[in-house]
Amino acid sequence: MTTSPAVRPQGLALLTESRQIVVVALPVALYVVALTLGTSFATFFAVGTTVGFTLQRSRLCFVSAFRDLILLHQGRTLKALLVGLAVGSVGFAMVMSTIVGDPSTGRMPDDAHILPLGITTVLGGVLFGVGMVLAGGCVTGSLYRMGEGYVGSWVAMGGVLLGLYALNRTWNWWWEVTISTSPRVWFPTSLGYGVSLVLTAVLLALSYLATLWWERRQPAGIPIPIRRALPAPPASVADDVRVALRGVFRREWPAVVGAVVISVLNILLFIRYRPLGVVGEISRWANDLGSLAGVPVGVLEGLDSLAGCAAALAEGASWFTDGFMLNFGIVVGAFTGAVLAREFRLRIPRQPQRYVQSLGGGMVMGYGAGLGLGCTFGAFYSAIPSLALNGWVYGLAMAAGAVIGARIIRRLM
Amino acid sequence: MIETQDVPLLDVRGEICPYPMLRTNKELDEVQPGVLALDVLTDHPPALSTIPPEAMKRGYGCEIDEVRDGEWVIRLFKDQ
Repeated sequence: MTTSPAVRPQGLALLTESRQIVVVALPVALYVVALTLGTSFATFFAVGTTVGFTLQRSRLCFVSAFRDLILLHQGRTLKALLVGLAVGSVGFAMVMSTIVGDPSTGRMPDDAHILPLGITTVLGGVLFGVGMVLAGGCVTGSLYRMGEGYVGSWVAMGGVLLGLYALNRTWNWWWEVTISTSPRVWFPTSLGYGVSLVLTAVLLALSYLATLWWERRQPAGIPIPIRRALPAPPASVADDVRVALRGVFRREWPAVVGAVVISVLNILLFIRYRPLGVVGEISRWANDLGSLAGVPVGVLEGLDSLAGCAAALAEGASWFTDGFMLNFGIVVGAFTGAVLAREFRLRIPRQPQRYVQSLGGGMVMGYGAGLGLGCTFGAFYSAIPSLALNGWVYGLAMAAGAVIGARIIRRLM
Repeated sequence: MIETQDVPLLDVRGEICPYPMLRTNKELDEVQPGVLALDVLTDHPPALSTIPPEAMKRGYGCEIDEVRDGEWVIRLFKDQ
């Protein structure tokens, strides 16, 4: 098939093949710089870069996991996430059992994402779900799409900053009214690690079954195969190497591979430091920017008692933190992945309403992420493996929010 | 195969999920119902896995062609 004559170049396909070496050198150079600043900086940057690269390669999108279920009865991404959560849960249980040997004492592992569970978990999750569908990406999704050249994601991130700033202005009210008295529910306290892990596995399996059932609720299409131009079969070792490299750097990874790799990275980071979460850091940026603009948020109560994505709020001292390196790494890793796959380009929305949508969605999502103490990563993908009830509640609330968001976006064609 | 110049082009560059798919569906269902072939031009890689299944539900076959770095044409066609 040849290119249609009506096709004209749009956007900028910025980098050509010869520049791809430079692109590999970029994260390496940044890693070396990070090493001179501190070991943990370098580690967080390396993990962030790998996360960004993995998300870009597998096109793992938490929004599509929920939205496509509603719009298309398609559960491919959600099923991948459920598998990833199962892997994460096993790893997290092992890590947590080395921190708290006997969970029945009521002690909980400090860094696990066991968060106050209450109305704010539900409200935060619903707002997050609506916002992420409107913005076309969750917070982590927007970070990695920023690296892929999506202009809309930069706008969405601006919205997230505004939303988090607004939440932090109202944080003390939420804290006093509900969060300070909300319980933290950790399954191992009453069930022990073994039973908690079995319970989590059963809930994940039931979710998987429910997804399969839901997919069948819509009649399947007549399967007509997708035709792609086939390359010549490999004829030498060099060709085999090329095929293998192509599989890693050029072709899309199955979503389930991406989900499992993210979970493994999450476990590794938790062994040495803490689980993955991106919102606490962005929240700190929002506050720092507020201070720069002469409207500081002031003292936020109760943060030292919270794990996960609220903790970074209290740091505030320097711009270079572990969290910064993680988030920056995600953008760099996605950029590298996109360039190597020859997919990088500036993608500029042409309809003005899309900018409004990205900004508005980002704001709603940011407020929800602040209220629910995390995003799809911190309050969901790191919380369910923490064997904490709040992860499940947040996930369900996010799904409900996605239903509302899907109704709204259909009207915004 | 249908001659390329006869195939209408739907340009959804700049759009992200779910719009490339929703706009393709709208084109097939409302704007040009029963059209024999349609080229969808996109720069959003995830659309490569959302548009084909939806088109297949409507009885179309698909062919994906990378026209330049980060830009694809999805040809949807009905076998005559």
